[in-house]
Amino acid sequence: MSGKASSDPSQVGLSGSGALSHVYIQHPPLRCNVPGTQGLYYDDGNKLLLAPSSDQVLSWKVSPSTQSDPPNSDFIGEGPVLSIRYSLDGKLIGIQRSNQEIQFINRESRETFSRRCRPDSESILGFFWTDCPSCDVLLIKTSGIDLLSYEPDLNTLRLVEAKRFSVSWYVYTHESRMVLLASGMQCTIFSGYQFSSGGIIRLPKFEMAMAKAEANHKPVLAAEDIHIVTVYGRVYCLQFDRVSMQLNVYRFYRDAVVQQGALPIYSSRIAVSVIDNVLLVHQVDAKVVIIYDVFLDCLSPISAPLPLLLRGSSVSGRQALQVEDNLTSAYGAMIYGDSWTFLVPDLICDIDNGLLWRICLDLEAIASSSSDVPSVLEFLQRRRSDPSKIKMLCLSIMRAIMLERRPISIITRAIDALVTSYAHLVKMENAFHGGDRSSKKSQNSGSQSANTSTIVSAESLDETMNRGKSIIKGAESETQQSTIRNLVNVNDNHAKKSTSKASLDSVSDSDGDANLDAMRSNSGESLDKYLSTDLLSSDAMQDVKKNTKHDYLKQSPIESEGLGCSSSRSDSCISNQQEPQITSVAISPDEMYHFVFQLVEEELGGDPAYLIADIVDSTKEKLRVHPNLYMMMIQMLARTNRYSELALFVTNKILEPSKEVALQLLEQGRQNFQIRKLGMDMLRQLSLHHDFVTVLLQDGYYLEALRYARKHKVITVRPSLFLEAAVAANNSQHLAAVLRMRS
Amino acid sequence: MGLPAMAANEGIQLCVFDTRRGHQEGQELDKILFFFPSDFPYSVQLSVVGLSEGIITFTRIFSPDAACEVIEEERHSHVFYQAEPDIWMVMIVEKNKDNESDWRCDALIDVLKEAHSLFTMFNDSLQALLDKQPSGELARSRLYTFINDYLSDFYVGKKIQVPSFRDCLKERRTVQMLTVSREVAIEVQSLATVIGSSSLGSTACKSLILFQDLLVATTLSPGDTANMFTYAVLRLTPHALSSNTSSWSYLRRGVSGSSITASSGLLNSRSSPEEYHHGSHDSSMGEQSNRYHMPRPLQRDNWSKGKDGFLVCDIQLNVGGLVYLAPVVWLQQSEEHMYLCIYQHRSLTIIILIPVCSQTDGEQGIALVKKQLLENASEKIVHVEEKLSRGWGGENAYHVSGYRYLLVDTDKSISRTSPPGKVMTLAKDSLLTLNKLREEVDLEKTRANREKPDHEKNLEICIRAKNNSWIIAKITQGRELYMAIEKANETLLYASDAVEKFSDRYCDGAFSLD
Repeated sequence: MSGKASSDPSQVGLSGSGALSHVYIQHPPLRCNVPGTQGLYYDDGNKLLLAPSSDQVLSWKVSPSTQSDPPNSDFIGEGPVLSIRYSLDGKLIGIQRSNQEIQFINRESRETFSRRCRPDSESILGFFWTDCPSCDVLLIKTSGIDLLSYEPDLNTLRLVEAKRFSVSWYVYTHESRMVLLASGMQCTIFSGYQFSSGGIIRLPKFEMAMAKAEANHKPVLAAEDIHIVTVYGRVYCLQFDRVSMQLNVYRFYRDAVVQQGALPIYSSRIAVSVIDNVLLVHQVDAKVVIIYDVFLDCLSPISAPLPLLLRGSSVSGRQALQVEDNLTSAYGAMIYGDSWTFLVPDLICDIDNGLLWRICLDLEAIASSSSDVPSVLEFLQRRRSDPSKIKMLCLSIMRAIMLERRPISIITRAIDALVTSYAHLVKMENAFHGGDRSSKKSQNSGSQSANTSTIVSAESLDETMNRGKSIIKGAESETQQSTIRNLVNVNDNHAKKSTSKASLDSVSDSDGDANLDAMRSNSGESLDKYLSTDLLSSDAMQDVKKNTKHDYLKQSPIESEGLGCSSSRSDSCISNQQEPQITSVAISPDEMYHFVFQLVEEELGGDPAYLIADIVDSTKEKLRVHPNLYMMMIQMLARTNRYSELALFVTNKILEPSKEVALQLLEQGRQNFQIRKLGMDMLRQLSLHHDFVTVLLQDGYYLEALRYARKHKVITVRPSLFLEAAVAANNSQHLAAVLRMRS
Repeated sequence: MGLPAMAANEGIQLCVFDTRRGHQEGQELDKILFFFPSDFPYSVQLSVVGLSEGIITFTRIFSPDAACEVIEEERHSHVFYQAEPDIWMVMIVEKNKDNESDWRCDALIDVLKEAHSLFTMFNDSLQALLDKQPSGELARSRLYTFINDYLSDFYVGKKIQVPSFRDCLKERRTVQMLTVSREVAIEVQSLATVIGSSSLGSTACKSLILFQDLLVATTLSPGDTANMFTYAVLRLTPHALSSNTSSWSYLRRGVSGSSITASSGLLNSRSSPEEYHHGSHDSSMGEQSNRYHMPRPLQRDNWSKGKDGFLVCDIQLNVGGLVYLAPVVWLQQSEEHMYLCIYQHRSLTIIILIPVCSQTDGEQGIALVKKQLLENASEKIVHVEEKLSRGWGGENAYHVSGYRYLLVDTDKSISRTSPPGKVMTLAKDSLLTLNKLREEVDLEKTRANREKPDHEKNLEICIRAKNNSWIIAKITQGRELYMAIEKANETLLYASDAVEKFSDRYCDGAFSLD
């Protein structure tokens, strides 16, 4: 059933899947409808789907692969279950039994203990486990929050700190490690905390605005109207304003909450998912999805609203159609049904039927639905889910637009998108290699704070660089060494600061500054946009870290945790046999040569001006260029007699000097002496004395060759060659001279 | 016709004649296509042309392939240039008593060559003009305006000043390049591509990109590039537009302000050459100028910058009721006619050549290309200009202290020289010696070329001038280096070391092969 996604690259194309949809759920879902269970609970900290029955709980690990392992079961004893969460180390199970009591069960010893609240004055709203260093459990009550720490010896919880204020309801996602606590008449006043492995960060109190329906009627904000989303390692909060029918977007910084705009809503019920850093807003009533990529703070949708599709696992051809028909008839009615619960970040739980679906993006469809190719490529290059497929998609898009002879400005922008992405990757790779060495010690010793701060800086650097070409350009002027140095410095700063001071304020302040300074010095451009440093979800940081590690260090295949690739497709066609180690979407110059230019040159033929222009564009960044690319350019220029351009390319080093390039010039210059001389000059400039002397000899300049050989002490050229040349010239005086010098 | 400049211009005569014409008695005048000064009596004109033709015929007996190049008389130098198979250009320059009139004959021939190649670029070859209109009126009228416009750049005061020994560190008909880094070169190249792709038809536009008076990129062949570059520096670059003087010579700056008005007054006061030749068609002047629509690309103040950044060619505005038609140039290599279209942004001059054959609807098509260019490239143009300005080292950017040099790459038709202001500081002796040396080298080169056409001559000459400066010429593999080092040490070793140092640092070691 884990059907192989087609491994034929030719299927990856602009045509997409032909479906009128950009987002789909993949059949088969994870089935967890076991008789006797009561309800389904999602433990997002452990990514477990939990189904309690009378005295047991069944748990399914929600993993990207669909191998539906049989569920584990744990004894939990009798009693009602309001919510249930495993501890992050898996040793304890916490079960909220009532709004007064939470029961904890040690899975090994089966010992239990409870935590109750004062029944008269407060009630428990919920709890969650945290990996923050100072506590393990957070208990949210109407009177505030309790930070509790587990004492294994006593098998009980110790109160670390209690924060007192009134709470109406709360929202928490483990992904962001952030809890938002609502209070006030309209529930629009929020306190926020981030309990990350780096420590606790307190957000300033803020109030969300709500439109008024009538003069005297003030709407009350409900918990289901607030969504915390994590995109590109940034934390956003989306607030559904039912009166104005819009989704307000807030972005969290360490010391500020900034409203970024609003998205229009066309439904009275909405849901929000995030797949591979793409924001999906489900308009449940309208049964359509709108997709946003908030990378550039741009809140316009990527494409038109289209329905969510149910897709069968990949069986080809007619069969697939049939399967899809069957599926539609079987499940069609339940799409966006009332029993659907949307789980963070990309899951849909059908509680009535006991099914768990994973939402997937159809990148081909998205790519083919937009005519703005450069933007599509940028969008694709930001995706991390299925590198090899995205890579093939990008390459085929590139080929297509070149074969279609789109205007050169489009090609330039498209190539820019790819080259920038690769340049960024190379920089990150270097930075990580550099950074790894310096911070290895702290990482190995498991100092989490140091780790996190590394990621903060790496992530913000990452973001800065991604922000646009202009900044990349700025950074480009700096040498890579300095980038690494800066990064290392930042790491050190962070390590010191965050280990020495655990207090919230100092961490947020000093780190923020350090980050900003580092970014300034790196990019050479003042980042006025950053009023304050981003608040980063530690989960997101971990993700980023994992991704960057995987992407950039090429150690293991892509981690798809939370990156939303459907199970049956996750074996991800490693279609390119030449490069089995595809782990990044970025396209190297080599791949550009093999899969774009070479193929395009074969097909395009004729006037190469267009292609040459494209190639020149692609060599813009200071990256290693595939040597054959230069060969190809020389051949094309020489073939079409464009001597002055060729000469310009050589003088300006657009064709970077190398022995191969020089020899190619000599080869092409057999008909054209001027081109040949370009090659000879290059040999001389590269101090390839032996080759230079040989070429001089071949051209009959034996006296010059002799003098040059003497000056540069070239002894590797056979003396007889000089003599033969002199004899051939039929000049006895010269022959004597050669004899004298070679003897 | 009492012309004030006439008497003063006796110092130089320039004629163009066709050896196939005017063989019959009484028709000799038909031979002459152009004569300067044009108010010379026919008898004098005929005797000059007759002498020249006689010498050419005579020398061909001994050297059928290459006839006479130069005659040195006691008071005159005659230089000959065979512009086209039957068409010759001859210049006769009077030697003054002072030795200011020391010149190099090749430099004089280069003037003729330049005049002819510019003429061909704008008018087609003379042969083609004569074929088009065998009576020769077309060719004559074109030559008349064109060469007079061309010569206007040589006026110093009221006198024509031919290149003298003071110009020995200059090489006419070569291109001066701006050195740019790889990164900038790629930016420029991608700009060139955008320009190239803005043609409507299938054939691409060609382009030259200049920064200040230096070339940055070209898609033309070296020969066409050199012609176009020469023209651009003469009339198109911001410097040429603003200074209103001959911009290739900083020496002459400021001197010629008055002469321009004088010479253009001189041109305007004359009626058409036909009238002059035959002296009868008094009334037909206006009619004729309509019949022969006469582009005058070399006329001063012809170009001005329009609001949209494109240069406008004023003169052609009213001809035959046509709105400006972009001038058409003829490219030798691709043998194509191209519309000339110039865009200028600050110091950046972009010459766009649009194939005539691709534009069926003439003016409209060009307007469309211009529009496209503005849409697609203006951002890039601004960007490139900024980058180039940032890297621009000023007029003296290529000055190497202690050296006064001329570096010529004959393959690429590129030259680089010490800035003119710095050359001026050389002592007269140094310049005279260098001029002599160059003359020798020219001779040597021609000789070597005659003996072994496909073998490049390498040579090196060091001379100690009267004022103890070292004058050096070095030629290797098609590259030429001339330099004057004053304030140098006594020994020859020092001089050759200096050359080697220069070669290693500024010429990629091209002159330090042995």
